[in-house]
Amino acid sequence: GAMRSRGEVDATLQTAKLNPAELLPTVHCLSFGPQAAAGQCCLLQMEPGLCAELEAGRSLVIRGEKDEQAVLCSKDKTYDMKIADTSNMLLFIPGCKTPEQLNADQASCNIIHSQIAGFANNYWELRRCRPKLKKLRKLLMEDPYEGPDSRKDQTLTFSKYTTEDLLNLIQASEEEILHQLQVIDACKIEGRYWRILEFDYEMKLLNHVTQLIDSESWSLSKVPLRTCLEELGSLEPTEMIEHILVSYGRKYIDDAGEVYFEMHEDKICRAIAQMLLQNAVKFNLSEFQEVWQQSVPEGMTTRLDQLKGLALVDKSSRPETIFLLKVDDLPEDNQERFNSLFSIREKWTEVDITPYIQDLCAEKQTVGALLTKYARSSMQNGVKVYNSRRPVS
Amino acid sequence: EAASLTRSGGAGGLAQWVLVELQGEVEPRQSGGLAGSLLGDLHYTREGVPVLILGHHILYGKVVQLEKPFAVLVKRGAGEPGPEPGPAGPHAHYTVTALIKTKLLFKTRPKPIITNVPKKV
Repeated sequence: GAMRSRGEVDATLQTAKLNPAELLPTVHCLSFGPQAAAGQCCLLQMEPGLCAELEAGRSLVIRGEKDEQAVLCSKDKTYDMKIADTSNMLLFIPGCKTPEQLNADQASCNIIHSQIAGFANNYWELRRCRPKLKKLRKLLMEDPYEGPDSRKDQTLTFSKYTTEDLLNLIQASEEEILHQLQVIDACKIEGRYWRILEFDYEMKLLNHVTQLIDSESWSLSKVPLRTCLEELGSLEPTEMIEHILVSYGRKYIDDAGEVYFEMHEDKICRAIAQMLLQNAVKFNLSEFQEVWQQSVPEGMTTRLDQLKGLALVDKSSRPETIFLLKVDDLPEDNQERFNSLFSIREKWTEVDITPYIQDLCAEKQTVGALLTKYARSSMQNGVKVYNSRRPVS
Repeated sequence: EAASLTRSGGAGGLAQWVLVELQGEVEPRQSGGLAGSLLGDLHYTREGVPVLILGHHILYGKVVQLEKPFAVLVKRGAGEPGPEPGPAGPHAHYTVTALIKTKLLFKTRPKPIITNVPKKV
């Protein structure tokens, strides 16, 4: 239709008994744009910092397969997306000026024809969430790297993932994904594909290194890269030797420019414990501790607290036993995680359960807060214990 | 599947739009649908109070700076030019077309405009 004229606007003001002298001279005549009702536009409520990211030219990404709830990712954070309904109608209008802007602009014209681009009675709300990284390990475990001598037919495996693939499949920001790849000791083999080492192969590599450290009588905090590669290069690919050193040690360079590794005692002891524990359902605790100490490199001391989130001690059995329980194998969802833990053991002390729920804590959330929400506490033999809020079958 | 929210091109910052919040629903006055139809006239008093004349109603509102701004996402149509689909398959792409940091909130009950004044006898 024809656009409203100033005359028509003034006539309406008169009918409405509004005094033009009390109004700013500029009127916006609002009409619906051609695509307003098409539903192509929607609103996304920004969290602090996201506005600045967009204004700086960075992109945001929405990630999720059909069976997953969509998340929004910035470069380094992940947010849950949820629709929020309003009882009001929200109209979005380009080129609409505020009184401040009109007052500041001396040359503002008398009549602005603004077209409403769209309208909605809901918008997307964001809430910062934990990145959904469990899938990352799951994908990489589809085809763990077993070493160059593996009898697996390489041509049959299609489960290979580049960084780009992972970005498309994992509901997390790029930085969170790259950080997690480091945490799980993934490495790039053949330059492009991220792989996790098959545990037995990883232990084989570690064993080469620890035996060499032993035979050379090196200090555990000064393991030379160059010599490792020279001595072990005939047994295993040099990238793998370096990878195992990086996974189990801290790299540094001395004043002469030589690369050394300070070995992580706790991580090595923990890996050896896993190797021992995975062979049976459970072990006699004291027997295990003896074998474990004997199995670790000379100069290293085993301690049960090295096994947090990996193994659990049953203090109620006689004799006391220990069994493998990896937090990585447990569900990612909070309620499912607690259900799983309570089906393994009815009552938990805070000390025992903490390593298995620590990773569930949201930003600024404590383990205590989680326990209050998902568990019920009681006293048992003078000790505070937690059990399920619901009856466990 | 991943949908990327990319900024619409062009030098300078993102466009700044304004939100108008009204009670009730928007209905087309004419049978032809909404596109092109007039909503009303938006005025501001000299004190900066927004006044909306919608049909036979006057609405008074207020200018609110949003604590959490909105991004306006426009779904890019299948036929429109855009980045190549990624390895995981074709993605829906949303463009962030504008940011909304200000809204005009009209919560007061509309005052009817009385157009027929009874004649003095």
